[in-house]
Amino acid sequence: MNKISIPIGPQHPLLKEPLTMNIDISGERVLGGTLRLGYVHRGIERLAQQKTYVQNVHLIERICGICSHVHTTTFCHAVETLLGIDVPIRAQYIRALMCELERVHSHLLWLGIIAKHVGLDTIFMHTWHDRELALDIMEEVSGGRVSHAANQIGGVRFDLSQEQEAMIRKTVNDLSDKANTLMDVIENEPVLQARTKGVAPLSAETIKNYCVVGPVARASGVDVDMRRDHPPPPYDRLTFNVITRQDGDAWARTVVRAEETRETLKLCHTILDEMPDGPVSVRAPRKVPEGEVVVRSEAPRGELLYYLRSDGSENPARLKVRTPTLPALNLIPKQLSAIHVADIPVVMAGVDLCIACADR
Amino acid sequence: MSILKAVINAFRKTPDTVKYPYGPLVIPKGFRGAIVIDTEKCSGCGLCVRDCPAAGLELIKESRQDYQLIHYPARCAYCGQCEDSCARGAISHSNDLVEPTYDSDEWVVVLKHQSGD
Amino acid sequence: MISGLFYLLLFPGLLFQVICSLFFEWLDRKLLARFQRRVGPPWFQPLADLIKLFSKEDLLPEGANDLVATLLPLISLSAVLTAGLYIPIAGFTPFSFEGDLIVILFLMSVPTLAYYLAGVVSVGVYSILGGSRSLLQFFSYEVPLLIALSGPAIMSGSWSVEQIMISQGSMGPFILFQPVGFVLAVVGLIGKLKRDPLDIPKAKSEVVGGPLTEFTGAKMGLWHLVMNIQAVLGIFLLTNLYLGWTKTFNPLVAVVVFIIEFLVLVVILSGASAIYARLRIDQLAGLGWRILVPLSLLQIGFVILMGI
Repeated sequence: MNKISIPIGPQHPLLKEPLTMNIDISGERVLGGTLRLGYVHRGIERLAQQKTYVQNVHLIERICGICSHVHTTTFCHAVETLLGIDVPIRAQYIRALMCELERVHSHLLWLGIIAKHVGLDTIFMHTWHDRELALDIMEEVSGGRVSHAANQIGGVRFDLSQEQEAMIRKTVNDLSDKANTLMDVIENEPVLQARTKGVAPLSAETIKNYCVVGPVARASGVDVDMRRDHPPPPYDRLTFNVITRQDGDAWARTVVRAEETRETLKLCHTILDEMPDGPVSVRAPRKVPEGEVVVRSEAPRGELLYYLRSDGSENPARLKVRTPTLPALNLIPKQLSAIHVADIPVVMAGVDLCIACADR
Repeated sequence: MSILKAVINAFRKTPDTVKYPYGPLVIPKGFRGAIVIDTEKCSGCGLCVRDCPAAGLELIKESRQDYQLIHYPARCAYCGQCEDSCARGAISHSNDLVEPTYDSDEWVVVLKHQSGD
Repeated sequence: MISGLFYLLLFPGLLFQVICSLFFEWLDRKLLARFQRRVGPPWFQPLADLIKLFSKEDLLPEGANDLVATLLPLISLSAVLTAGLYIPIAGFTPFSFEGDLIVILFLMSVPTLAYYLAGVVSVGVYSILGGSRSLLQFFSYEVPLLIALSGPAIMSGSWSVEQIMISQGSMGPFILFQPVGFVLAVVGLIGKLKRDPLDIPKAKSEVVGGPLTEFTGAKMGLWHLVMNIQAVLGIFLLTNLYLGWTKTFNPLVAVVVFIIEFLVLVVILSGASAIYARLRIDQLAGLGWRILVPLSLLQIGFVILMGI
């Protein structure tokens, strides 16, 4: 059959954010593809140099619409390290709680998307409603559903009251029930497994060569998790399991994320149990002393790296953000060969694309 | 077939949709809505304007007694930084939703107009 | 003459079928919404959608054959409307003759071929991909569907739907004797209608809109109408062939039973689209030829043995 080239993107029902893939196919076989990025480049790193540290917290929050909190947490952690101030323990725990809730809603969102791409709209609707519970908690405590504005340099903006803690516990329990039901559904869904098992498997070696991080790496048996390997506070005090699978195919990625959702919900309970009393913020000076720092943390999609250089003024001299999606995007053209056209959505969704993060 | 069970359960329950314009909308207590100001407390110091990350606030200051604090709701990011920065607790977010507009350029709210006397 | 026009335009012709198809679409969407914890559309939504589509601008890409693209939905619509004249509704059969089942099945496969051609003449890449997929799917479901539907005909010894219904009146509904055939017919019907979970030719995340990607306006509206009328007629046909033992009943009872059976089949179709994921096209072909065809042959063998 003749080779034809189908464009996927910038606008395509498969994509929630713009990118372009030109995919060469022959009949129902995919021969290969090329990737083009940059549609949502907003110049945030340059913009960050023109704004003060206080303003940057809100700018950084807008890098991503899903993992917004972990971005600000990492940025604040970097600034606080340069300033040499100790963030109150309670503030660290509240930050960690928000990060974990964010991981829950990000993973549920992803599970819904993979279900939608294989035609299981029911699971998509159900997971996205369950995800709302996590968003509701975050809106209730911080005031914003997506842009929480929970962090400030030196702590967090709000404190959790007794009623709020009880509400969070109740909702997290509720979410655990729903996550268990969801796991049950996914494990017993024959067509979903037929569509994802054995699709585009990645070896641990490939993962390491391409520096892929996060759930995609863990699904291929590469045991990396920044929360455990280089724990930012307060993760050094918390214990949790890191989920890994060996197969590396789309099904392993699904299972890793679903299991991680359950594990994260358990971690939310641990955080609430161990949260000490005390203040939630300390005063931070506006000017940051000269120096540079690299901070890493675990975003829902993998390792997030911030490099910050200060020249002693109110504005950062250089801010470099390395998001977990970019190496995963490099792997897509490699995965797009010797698969069916029908597997393209599974492959593209499998790496959990966040183009806004990747382009910045 | 646990998906069948999930589907039947979903069918028996009422839908989860919030019928917002036709039904009530629950807004959480801490929701960051429209910007309001306590004109008694505001002294026109400009701390909120300095820290605003979205250039949503402007202070036109002739003198200590003669100034205008202007809010541009279309530029505002509703991040709550002004509330945080204000030393006197004058500016804050209310719990109300911000109504949309057709003309965002002309959308200017004068929060406080102090004319000297 | 007057009664002929009545049959063609009002009942069981155009108007009745359009109203039934709009009702079917609403019920299907509403049920699916409730399965997915949503509210679903109000009752007039399908009609509003149709009016909206007919009032929209009609565009086709450069290089597409406008005449053929306009004719295809019209031909499909007339084919399904004609098929509707021969399908008994609650035992009411104005045009019954020996062999009308074959005519109905032939007329109802016209839209599938037109669907494929629509993909080819509207030159988009997704359209061509979707078109070739729709043909592949056609070869996978049509054979088991036809073999399964010949079960009732063999059992009653006639290729007339009315005759099949009459023999069900004495023997009992054929679903009792051919449950496997009924399931196969439902699967085949889902494949014919390109509904979820067998919506492979128009899978949104893979080929955008399938063969109809480039269609807009009134042509798209006609296609929607064709698909929905086809769905309604398919359900009517299955009801008559497998559950049509009410031919000799009091007409009022027959109508009530017919409506109940129609609703049950709609629930089955909506439920199937809610709980099953979409197969890949190679998996569907494997399912069709490795599982459905042998099963349908077994069913036919069973029917023939029973006849002896």
